[in-house]
Amino acid sequence: MAGNALPLLQALGVSKSFGAVQALKPCDFRLHTGEVRALIGSNGAGKSTLIKILTGALTPSSGEVRLEDVPLPPGRPDQIIRRGVACIYQHSNLAPALSVMDNIYLGRQPTRRFGLLDRKRQRRQVVALLQTYGISLDPDAIVGTLPTVKQKEVEIAKALALDAKVLLMDEPTGWLAATEVRKLHDTIRLLKAKGVGIVYISHMLDEIFAVCDTMTIMRDGQIIAETAVANTNRVEVIEKMVGETLARESQAAANHDRRAAAAGEVRLSVRSLGRRGVFHDITLDLHAGEILCLTGLIGSKRTELVHALFGSGPRHSGTVLLDGKAVRFRGPSDATAAGIGLVPEDRHRDGLMLGMPIRDNLVLSILKRFVRLGRLDRAAITRTAQASLSALNVQPPDLDRLVRQLSGGNQQKVLVGKWLNLGPKVIILDEPTVGVDVGAKAEIYGILRRERDRGAAILVVSSDLEEVMTLADRIGIMVAGRLAALRPATEMTMKDVVSAIGAEPGMPAGMA
Amino acid sequence: MLRDAGGTLALVGFFLVAVTFFSFVTRNFGSASNFENLMSGFSFMAILTIGQSFPILMRGIDLSVGAILALVGMTVFDLSLMFGWPGWAVLPAALLVGTLAGLLNGALIVRLRLPPFIATLATLAAYRGLVYTISGRQLVPGLSTTPIRDPWIIGLETYYDIGGALGLKHLIKLPWLPLSFIILLVTLLVFRFLLSGTRFGRDIYAAGGNAEAARLAGINVDRVTMAAYATSGFCAGLGALLLVARLTTSTEELGKGIELSTIAAAVIGGVSLSGGIGNVTGPVIGAFLLGVILLGLTQAGISQFVQQILTGLILLIAIGNDRWQTARRDRARTETLTGAS
Amino acid sequence: MTRNDNLRAFATRNALGLAMTVFVILFAAAEPAFLKPENLIGILRSQALVAIMATGMTFVIMTGGVDLSVGPVLALSGVVNFYVMDAGWGLPLSMSAAIATGLLIGAANGTLIAALNLPPIIVTLAALSIVRGSALLLGGPDLHSIRGQPVFTFLGSGQLFGLPFSVVIAAVVAALMIFVQKLTPLGLLVAAIGENERAAWLSGLRVRRVKVLLYGLCSAGAALAGLIQTSQVHTAAATYGEFGTELDVIAAVVLGGTSLSGGTGSVARTMLGVLFLGILNNGMSIMNMPINLQLIAKGIIIAGALAAAQRSAD
Repeated sequence: MAGNALPLLQALGVSKSFGAVQALKPCDFRLHTGEVRALIGSNGAGKSTLIKILTGALTPSSGEVRLEDVPLPPGRPDQIIRRGVACIYQHSNLAPALSVMDNIYLGRQPTRRFGLLDRKRQRRQVVALLQTYGISLDPDAIVGTLPTVKQKEVEIAKALALDAKVLLMDEPTGWLAATEVRKLHDTIRLLKAKGVGIVYISHMLDEIFAVCDTMTIMRDGQIIAETAVANTNRVEVIEKMVGETLARESQAAANHDRRAAAAGEVRLSVRSLGRRGVFHDITLDLHAGEILCLTGLIGSKRTELVHALFGSGPRHSGTVLLDGKAVRFRGPSDATAAGIGLVPEDRHRDGLMLGMPIRDNLVLSILKRFVRLGRLDRAAITRTAQASLSALNVQPPDLDRLVRQLSGGNQQKVLVGKWLNLGPKVIILDEPTVGVDVGAKAEIYGILRRERDRGAAILVVSSDLEEVMTLADRIGIMVAGRLAALRPATEMTMKDVVSAIGAEPGMPAGMA
Repeated sequence: MLRDAGGTLALVGFFLVAVTFFSFVTRNFGSASNFENLMSGFSFMAILTIGQSFPILMRGIDLSVGAILALVGMTVFDLSLMFGWPGWAVLPAALLVGTLAGLLNGALIVRLRLPPFIATLATLAAYRGLVYTISGRQLVPGLSTTPIRDPWIIGLETYYDIGGALGLKHLIKLPWLPLSFIILLVTLLVFRFLLSGTRFGRDIYAAGGNAEAARLAGINVDRVTMAAYATSGFCAGLGALLLVARLTTSTEELGKGIELSTIAAAVIGGVSLSGGIGNVTGPVIGAFLLGVILLGLTQAGISQFVQQILTGLILLIAIGNDRWQTARRDRARTETLTGAS
Repeated sequence: MTRNDNLRAFATRNALGLAMTVFVILFAAAEPAFLKPENLIGILRSQALVAIMATGMTFVIMTGGVDLSVGPVLALSGVVNFYVMDAGWGLPLSMSAAIATGLLIGAANGTLIAALNLPPIIVTLAALSIVRGSALLLGGPDLHSIRGQPVFTFLGSGQLFGLPFSVVIAAVVAALMIFVQKLTPLGLLVAAIGENERAAWLSGLRVRRVKVLLYGLCSAGAALAGLIQTSQVHTAAATYGEFGTELDVIAAVVLGGTSLSGGTGSVARTMLGVLFLGILNNGMSIMNMPINLQLIAKGIIIAGALAAAQRSAD
């Protein structure tokens, strides 16, 4: 790597503010020819803001981006693509019914007169391109019939056909199986040898260690570390991503109001639960009166696991017992009827009725209780909603307010409140405090502890280690779709958790 | 495209099964004259189906094809009988009317951003209303029993004795080949080439399969959409010419409900309602498959009301199958898809 | 943004009222007979059938669906009623049979749409063909005249409190559906599904069951309309509810501010849309506008309203 040579791509002092919120603090980012640079950080760390500035999807509030020392036009994605900075997104940007050849030249196939396609020339160009970069693809294969990894390669070839010098790859392996990931990495190494600069955005640490040369770690809207991959290790990386929370660990422990008495009987018992290709052999017991936190890297399939428990996602093997009886929910309505609630990760898409008032949102899962002779008892609804409103301390305490008009923290309280009104035996929360301010966070913790002391069994999926250390009575750690560790929180320090999360997939916890 | 090889073969198989079945159930079904009937009676519908495939490829739908058919039919009637235009002038005028009607559909969808089904449902009513307004049968009542005799138009209903010309007459009785069937074949070849050999065709697949990707690749999706609906209108116009030539007249009710058959035939022929998948060969076979079933049922003495019911059921089965295929295609992906995170 | 939304909803609501006022003034000025009580009642009478069908259609469209099969269901209902009555089973049974037919067809549509996830347009388009074919198979293309059934005749032609009885029925149905929307759990369920179907499902609501019920209600409304129409014209025929019926109904719903892509909607406002269409039709006829011009004017106004509604929904 030419350390001091002129970088291929450099962002100098770029920043981005949305109103009063600074999503990206001024930062410098450099990428050299033939370098594969990992860009990592937890959700909301500012990665996507930086990427969008590089592709031109966002105009930076300050600073500039230069390609081979020539400034790129800010906020002009069409021009930036033609100058040689391409981005391969998580979702497909291909036309499934067309051939590889046509997709590579989508919308700009070489033509002769009258719009007739010049097939010979197109084929020549495609074959030459694929040969140059050593990508093995059949130009005539229909893209929709190709395996996902091949489709990714088509997207790469499409970018290269536009003379891409820089490839930004956003979670390129999200939909790939392990063997496919290896194939993709081979392709990346070929591109690297040809001098293409690659920014590899991923949550998968083992991939980063397998294919990247350098890494940039972001947190809280700024770049906090840049290092060669060879000079670091997984635990160090996770510590950097998590931030100074290690320093705050003692404080978190101090805040921790662990349940004094032993937890109650087993509520939800999961036995060897599996979903093909997603998670495997999950066995755990969730007790009444405990908070069990499941943590792990993003993509370790915790969300898929809880949806399988709630009946809203598939499961293929194993059993689930509720109070000792085997249950198999055909849908969320079954789970709800059995006394299980789920606060989903994406509260806007999956959780709330944003255009409806707080009142309706709070009682949506328990409407049946308010039916008197076929009529909704509005007064009773208002009483119930009012009671939860005060218990949850939702601000402003106005039942007629649309949920859309609330702050993130208050929206989340309403969503939690909806399930508390069910009086649930089991309540599952997926990333309950993402995008929630510190005050509301503490309040939500208080609410959850109160529910626990009432005797509810609580399962929290969280990537926020500070939250896990603060809240958990027991900690479960998932690595690549398997439960790698499950221990009482008192027996684990933050360091143990970090090293368990960073463990190589398939290795028992503690060995990494 | 995706289902080209296997799908087309399966369709041809179905077609042969249906023919064999009806040959046993009804007398004379396998006869040469019956195949003439099939070819001349359903070529116009096959052409309409080719047209219908374009909006469906664009993830839309054209409910107004029957009304456009009637509109063009009445245009031919008026121009030929009321205004005495010569046939060589009527033919292009008719095709122009059809194309413009389709273009208006496209404009409503693109400019007013109406959902395709509501835009074409509205124009279905509007075009049908227009047919009554311009109906030469009502404006000049005397004309309603006058057949169209212009050789340019009636000439479209010509039969060629291919078997005789080749001297096969004594070996086997072959059906005479209707000109309408030859026109269908030419139309099929032209639109097939348009889809596979031109930039316009590639753009249709791109825009229908992934509109966002097409837009990013600089394809003018709005213009492609307009062209798709114009194509459907053009084909409806061409179909109308063949039908009018066969009937030697036109009526206000021409082509009522045919949108259903064309949609069914297109979906049977492998054009997916989720857009971007299919070609025009399958739909033509689909149209004739539907034709064999309808013709067979008629000859078996089943009432046309039952046929209406059956057409609806066939449409349901076709979309059920389409949805199943789509789900199967996506399943491999969702198996490894990481739901939310 | 939220204030804007409210403002926009407010403006949409009043745009219809405003337009209605303008047209009323316009028609009254051009032709004073427009405001005569008998003419106003005539408007109501002409829209009674559309009003009944539009109530159920509002719920269906709110969930992002549509029902194109209301016309043939209307016809089949009339024919079923005729035959059951003709067989001497009595009015209560014949009318129940007709309504039940509608309910079943709608439930079948709803099941295909909700359980098999098939597109509503195509499913109800196929139903349109199937139901029309069944009606014709049952009743043939002829008219069946109904005689000696004074109670049944009252349904469409009777008077109550000086109003045509059909208008009274429409008013009762509308009131009932407004009650359902505002005061029963179903109203809240429909709103929730329209607002965010996935979140409704994840909240433990039985989304599929509700959708099946809604299509059932919509078709039952069409069946009731079929009974009233048969009674009004003293004949049943398989050809009633001809093409265009569903367009009028959908237009009324959309004029009432429900977006075709689903979401919020209100039966009460749909009734305003029905009224608006009635005023438009009546006013243009009373001004002796040629029928072609009437259709064109109506088409332009509806297309404009649709486009405006789509735009504000985006």
